[in-house]
Amino acid sequence: MENTIKVERAILNLTQDELAQKIGVSRQTINSIEANRYVPSTVLALKLSELFGKPVNDFFKLSDND
Amino acid sequence: MNTKNIEHCERNKLERFLNKIQLPNSFKAIGVGLVALSFIALTVIKFIDDEALWVRPFLKHAMLIGLLVISLSKEKIEDELIEVLRSKSYALAFIIGVLYTLFQPLANYIVDFILGKQDTPTEIGYVQVLLFMLLIQVGFFELLKRNR
Repeated sequence: MENTIKVERAILNLTQDELAQKIGVSRQTINSIEANRYVPSTVLALKLSELFGKPVNDFFKLSDND
Repeated sequence: MNTKNIEHCERNKLERFLNKIQLPNSFKAIGVGLVALSFIALTVIKFIDDEALWVRPFLKHAMLIGLLVISLSKEKIEDELIEVLRSKSYALAFIIGVLYTLFQPLANYIVDFILGKQDTPTEIGYVQVLLFMLLIQVGFFELLKRNR
C-alpha cells in the first residue's frame, strides 16, 4: 500500500502534529502511515478522507506486491 | 453508514471489553514504582540471613502486580497503532513464554551436567513464568513503540 498523505498534508499546510490532533491519533502514527510502515484502519482512512475532502482512493493506492 | 457506525463494526465486543479494563496512564508510574521497590527489597533480603518465610513470595507477587499494572496502563495518546503494537507484544510474550517454559528446565539440566552437578531437574514456578512473560510483553511493547 502506498499513500500520498504527506502531499495532502502539505496542500492543507498542516504539520504531522496538527494532522494527528485533528484525527485523534499520535504524531508517530501519522509518521508511520506516511512512511508506509502502518496501514490505517477504515475508520482512520475515512477520517483522513473527510479532512482532505477527497475519496480514500485518491491518497491510498495498492502497490504491485499487494 | 457514518464513521461512528463503521468504528462500531470494526471493534468487536472483546476489543471494547479490553478497552474497559485498561487503566489510566497515571497508573504506569505506580506500576514502575511497585516493580522498582519490590526489586530493591528482593535484592536487599538476599543479604539478610533470617528472613520471614512470607517475605520473598510477597515481594515476588508485588512485582507481578506492578508489571501487570504497567501492562494494563494506557498510553498518553491511545490510538489504533498503539493497540496493534500492544497486541503484537502480547502475542510475542505468549510464544516466548511457552518456549521459555519448555526449554528452561532443559537448559538448567545441560548447565548442571556441564558443571558436574547431579541435581534432578527443577520445576519452574508459575510466578517465574508470569514475571518472565510480563517482562517480555512490557519490554517488546516499549521496543515496538520506539521503532514505530
